[in-house]
Amino acid sequence: MNLLVFAFAALALVCAHLLRAARPGHLAGGALAFLVSLAISVMAVKVAAASLGLGRTTDFDRVVNHAVAQVEADPRAPLLVFTGASYSRNALDDEALTRQLRADGYPHRVINLSLEAASLAEREAHLEAFLSRIPRAPDLVFVEVAPAFDQHPAQFFDNSKFSLRGIEQFDLRTSAWTGVGLLQGGCEGAADCVKQAGLTGAHFGLNALNVGLVSGGEHPEDAGDLAAYDPQYTPRETVDSEAQLQGLRAGPDFAPRPGPLWIASLRAQLDARLTARGVREVGYYFPPVIDAHERAYVDGLCLGELAGAPCIAPTDPALLAALEGEVWFDQSHLLAPGAEIYTQWLANELIATGALDRAPRFQISQESAAP
Amino acid sequence: MIFTEPVFLIFFVLTFGLYWLMKGREARLSLLLVASMIFYGWWDWRFLGLIGWVIVVSWACALMAARLQPGSAGRRVLLATTIASHLGVLATFKYFGFFASSAVMVMESMGLAPSWPVLNILLPVGISFYVFQAISYVVDTARGDLAPEPRLRRVALYIAFFPQLVAGPIVRAASFFPQMERAKRLSRALIASGLRAFLIGFVYKAGIADNLAPLVDPVYSGGDLAAWSNLALVGATLAFAGQIYFDFAGYSLMAIGVARLFGYHIPRNFDYPYASLSIADFWRRWHISLSSWLRDYLYIPIGGNRGGALATYRNLMITMVLGGLWHGAAWTFVAWGALQGAGLGLHRALFGRSSLRIGWLPALILTQGFVLLSWAAFRAESFADMGAVWLAFSGLRAGGPQMLAWYVWLVPGLIAMDALLGRHGRRLARALPALKRPAVYWSGLGATAGLLLALYPLEAAPFVYFQF
Repeated sequence: MNLLVFAFAALALVCAHLLRAARPGHLAGGALAFLVSLAISVMAVKVAAASLGLGRTTDFDRVVNHAVAQVEADPRAPLLVFTGASYSRNALDDEALTRQLRADGYPHRVINLSLEAASLAEREAHLEAFLSRIPRAPDLVFVEVAPAFDQHPAQFFDNSKFSLRGIEQFDLRTSAWTGVGLLQGGCEGAADCVKQAGLTGAHFGLNALNVGLVSGGEHPEDAGDLAAYDPQYTPRETVDSEAQLQGLRAGPDFAPRPGPLWIASLRAQLDARLTARGVREVGYYFPPVIDAHERAYVDGLCLGELAGAPCIAPTDPALLAALEGEVWFDQSHLLAPGAEIYTQWLANELIATGALDRAPRFQISQESAAP
Repeated sequence: MIFTEPVFLIFFVLTFGLYWLMKGREARLSLLLVASMIFYGWWDWRFLGLIGWVIVVSWACALMAARLQPGSAGRRVLLATTIASHLGVLATFKYFGFFASSAVMVMESMGLAPSWPVLNILLPVGISFYVFQAISYVVDTARGDLAPEPRLRRVALYIAFFPQLVAGPIVRAASFFPQMERAKRLSRALIASGLRAFLIGFVYKAGIADNLAPLVDPVYSGGDLAAWSNLALVGATLAFAGQIYFDFAGYSLMAIGVARLFGYHIPRNFDYPYASLSIADFWRRWHISLSSWLRDYLYIPIGGNRGGALATYRNLMITMVLGGLWHGAAWTFVAWGALQGAGLGLHRALFGRSSLRIGWLPALILTQGFVLLSWAAFRAESFADMGAVWLAFSGLRAGGPQMLAWYVWLVPGLIAMDALLGRHGRRLARALPALKRPAVYWSGLGATAGLLLALYPLEAAPFVYFQF
């Protein structure tokens, strides 16, 4: 609820009461007047909302608020940010990882900036929001790479349709990238392609027309906060132990490979943007899953497209052996005991990449440097 | 399916298109009936059987009653049985849990510990509305005020007509049946008036009421009234007064607009009630179709004002208490109804036959102050909450630290603006003939659409009156 609601409601009320009936006129002229006026009022609403700092706030804004509070509580530590989807939300305990690294002599503060079903574009937008609110750029940013999101650009719609979060993220840029991904084969069959393209178009239309912008709008900073790490203690589906062992013990049949062109381009752009904002190094990772093909896909990326960057694929047999047992929330997500195992392992892997040893630059971001 | 959801738009466009493409009256009636059943079944198809039962019982009993002598014992017994059947449906689905839990409470207070199983019965949406509509049909035919309709399809459409099925207005058969027979033509005037009513209703509901809910719910449903300051409680009650008016009047206007687009006229349900200068005036303007139903089928039959002053007060109290209970199966609704009964009685005692008059401003303040206090009883989830809100109004409550946003105090301005525009809009529009120019008119609609899209709540709240 915000002041704009009252102002707009009052205006709409005046229009609705006064517009009684038009004299007969040319249909095309009326339609044109309607569309031009609609476009102007949509633009005016956008400007008004932007000038008041209002946006459709979602859980990701709450995750960002939590992350900003973590940084404020630990102002001098070099930052190590992980951003991903639900895999990371369930698997990556940022507080435990921070403690583990510090016990090993690294002063970094780990930030988990993940939310379920978050596409790379949505994560990028919220990374930008996070970076603009902290006094210095992170030393390292690790970006989750997940086959589901690489191969299905409209993956978000499997999780939610026509939600505030869906509408908010499908702006022109995200919609365009999704469209490119679909054109490059990121859908299964003509019917699925039409459906995903239709959903993308519909969400873009709702975004462009400001649907929910004022009614669901508030300052992102006022949206409350939400810890990204979301430990689970009870499995949500029964994982057959035979299938689990088979999946975890299957050898990776990987080969160096690039991801689909659209996501590789998007990753390259993100890398360049983050570097331009003062991030010293961008790395990639993927939390463990039972499916050997998914792990192999990420391993292939680490050796191919992402070979020049720190890249941590969960293919270590020791890790997978430790994850045999009651540690799975479902086929792709870990329970809290599994997250504990993964977090410990990840600390060792991070140290092994050597990325933490390279001196942090502590570069001041543009926002905080401004007077 | 509610009027502000996109799925309703699709449903409406399909039904509207098919309806006007069809030529014959019978085909159109059939289409409207099928559409009404789809509309109702969308919530829960299992309740189609329930509404079907109410329709068939009403139709059959009206026909049977017509064969009996007017005023005969047989006709009275049949009428009583039919009303009992309809009220039995209402009692079972709406009030069973209420009566059972009240009985348990009474027994527990007497030291007994009943251990009977409690049935949780799902409340069918709109049951209070269509049962009342069915009762009015049966009573009107039994009284001889209306000829019974032999064609089941017409009775079914009267009771289940989708625009007003789930939240009124409660339409009288004498007004609806002739409209089914009348030839209908799609005209510019029909479309303009239907769309205009729908547009105002949409602004009320999606633009205002749904956006007031976030000011009301955290206070009244947050579970911790003590945390809120006195001003916050007063503000939340004020916001609720706005919410319930814009929500229900919005639904009614949308229903009127949709019905008009199919060529049916449904009478208005609200006449700017917050401009009332007395509680009696308020009830002539608030939920007009219910208050007139209660007057005609309850207050007058139990004696009305025919038995002297005391009997009138008693009848007013019975009518309003039952009216309160109609709104919801909770003692707070009973208390709200009793307050209305007391208010009407007091008004009648002070102003009914005497020449006592006060100026319009004190009358407005007194009336609306009373209405506002009674909304606290209506919205509160317990008597303790109701008491806390009333204490907050008096300033005698300690109050918590939490405040509501300052703009809650703009709600009265919005209500006043709506009343002024509603009352004087026609004159204003006449004074501004440019508003009728196609370019200006369509531009205005475009701008309104732009505003409404931004105001549109994605998580559309169900209409407040759906629960009744």
